[in-house]
Amino acid sequence: MSSWVGQAIRRGRLTTRYPAEPATELELPMLARAPRPPAVVPDRLGAIAACPVAALSAAGGSGIRADEGRCIRCARCAAHGFDFSGSAECSRPDRAGLLVPPVPSGPGARAVPLRQLGRSVHVFLVDAGSCNACNHEVLALTNPYYDAQRLGIFFTNSPRHADVLLVVGVPTAEMTEPVRRAFEALPSPKAVVAVGVCPIGGGVFQSTPGLAGSLEELVPVDAFVPGCPPAPVSVLDAILGLLGRSRARTEG
Amino acid sequence: MTSRPWSESLRGPAGALGTEHAPAYLPIDRAFALVNDYGTGRALLWRGPAPAEANEVATLWRRAAEAPRPHRVAPEEVVEGYGVFTFPYGPISMGVPESGRFDVRTYGERILTLGPVAGFKSRRILGALPGLTPEDALLRVERLAGNFSAAHAAAFLAAVESAAAIEVARTELWTRALAQELERIYNHLHQIARVAEAASQNVGLAQTHALAEEMLRIEGRTFGHRWLFGALAPGAPTRRLDPEGRRWLGRALRELSGRFEVLLELFLGSRTFVDRLQTTGVVSRERAVRWGAVGPVLRATGVAWDDRLRAPSVPYTDLFLELPREDGGDALARILVRAHEVRSSALLLEQLLDRWPGDAMAREAPAPPVGPGRGLGRVESPSGDLVYEVRLTNGRIASVGMRSASHANWPVFAESLRHAVFTDFHFAWESFGLVFAETDA
Repeated sequence: MSSWVGQAIRRGRLTTRYPAEPATELELPMLARAPRPPAVVPDRLGAIAACPVAALSAAGGSGIRADEGRCIRCARCAAHGFDFSGSAECSRPDRAGLLVPPVPSGPGARAVPLRQLGRSVHVFLVDAGSCNACNHEVLALTNPYYDAQRLGIFFTNSPRHADVLLVVGVPTAEMTEPVRRAFEALPSPKAVVAVGVCPIGGGVFQSTPGLAGSLEELVPVDAFVPGCPPAPVSVLDAILGLLGRSRARTEG
Repeated sequence: MTSRPWSESLRGPAGALGTEHAPAYLPIDRAFALVNDYGTGRALLWRGPAPAEANEVATLWRRAAEAPRPHRVAPEEVVEGYGVFTFPYGPISMGVPESGRFDVRTYGERILTLGPVAGFKSRRILGALPGLTPEDALLRVERLAGNFSAAHAAAFLAAVESAAAIEVARTELWTRALAQELERIYNHLHQIARVAEAASQNVGLAQTHALAEEMLRIEGRTFGHRWLFGALAPGAPTRRLDPEGRRWLGRALRELSGRFEVLLELFLGSRTFVDRLQTTGVVSRERAVRWGAVGPVLRATGVAWDDRLRAPSVPYTDLFLELPREDGGDALARILVRAHEVRSSALLLEQLLDRWPGDAMAREAPAPPVGPGRGLGRVESPSGDLVYEVRLTNGRIASVGMRSASHANWPVFAESLRHAVFTDFHFAWESFGLVFAETDA
């Protein structure tokens, strides 16, 4: 046993400084970042047509609007001058907030639904039909590099003990009822986080018949984390955002 | 206690979710039965009732794709007796962080039989592919099972290239092998970490989980994506590994395998860990071969069979591959196979990086098409043999069939837990490395 401890001590501190410091290049590789159009897109229609998930649309003037809730980071738009340079704080409390540049919208969702929980929040993971990448990214929050427990975020084994439901994957017909039941099992106050583009808008499966279009059709969603899959730091930021402890909020 | 064939109990209780979610019956060893290498006629391991014609295999594939969902992976028999009931575990549980159900026949402590119920996450992927270009289909195929994305992409692309007789750049084949070996190391580390978690080896869990995260960071730095989506492309490589990137990768991998060796020694020195894994979830060699198990599950029963050696393609023809094999057939043997494969994959990666081909090198011709516009692609995914069959019409996908390692290993998994206790479940589950996302395509 002492050798295990010795090995752990020799490895030293691995844990990220996030959210006290911004996410590093290794924590947020290129394709975990959001697409940003260049100042001038030479071939606007070509760029819009290149996107396989219809995440790009024409905006006012000669601009392009990118929908981060649809973008699967295939980087085909890179040929049209797009780059991937967003920050880890990419989650938004409302669906319209994922549009860049934003469109003017009505009153937004509750921005801080779980503020009263303060420094301790229990989360439960539900797979509505994912490819398993988002599952692994969420579970990575428990590894020493992210160590979500240090921020008071704990994974529970039952939705009845949870405050936050993390939903990954595109909701399939078979999972709609189990997802609803899991949501109902959470005690109030509760919040739902859509992790990845699949629960937000179906991602690459958005046009497949037999799948629910989005998680919003099943349960109310309090935070949308775009990405395919989102980086663990982005999921961390979304959970902290529910408590009013997001890095974006404390800075701004 | 009495036993009767499972098929007689098909109209049994529907489980916790009510009749609308009653699983339909689909004996997986029949419906997913496939013969290895049927395309070339070199049958190395026959499984299930052998279909005589390739057409028949296509029918089985189609039937599997159209199967009612969710469908049950049926054990051989159903057990009745005093106090015996069916305990539905899933589809949502934190023990298995994927959605799928296990119908456990039990009287309270022992698992009498276990029936995995797959299909909860059916995203209708394969059925939606016809009509797409191979490039667009690839976006869906690599998101079929995210932690095996490089294996799926490589097998799919090999099938497409074989069907269309496209030549592939040598650097692209090298990149595919590189991506697959990185993915293999990540998945083995992840699986070992999860077994350590089940055995309450908390320091071991944290340290191995940290190595798995380091692997993802290495993949992210090398390909821009932690799950290798978009890393592979048909024909020629889109992303080139520069010499500086290769040197960094080599250094990072050497450092990581050094750390893993230390952990492995500590794991094997831990009596509680080894004792817990020994004789848990045993698969006999006879059963593994008869039911067509693949991958580390098969190699843990003493059969040295690996797709990278069976019909090696470039670059595996040019590399030295050390194939680990264990004889126990239990969770320990499977974990040892995985641990030694981390080592052998690291060795492969070292060779790949050392002999990285220049862009000017000759192009490699793909396997000739199996039939008109039809090709097979086959790779060793981290959990075992993965086959794709692709038909093309006018450059677009006409149909796609897929048989994954998870399809092949369900029956032996269910069998390995007969007469086990509940707490054995996670040791078997994590050492098998099954993925519902693959069967629910």
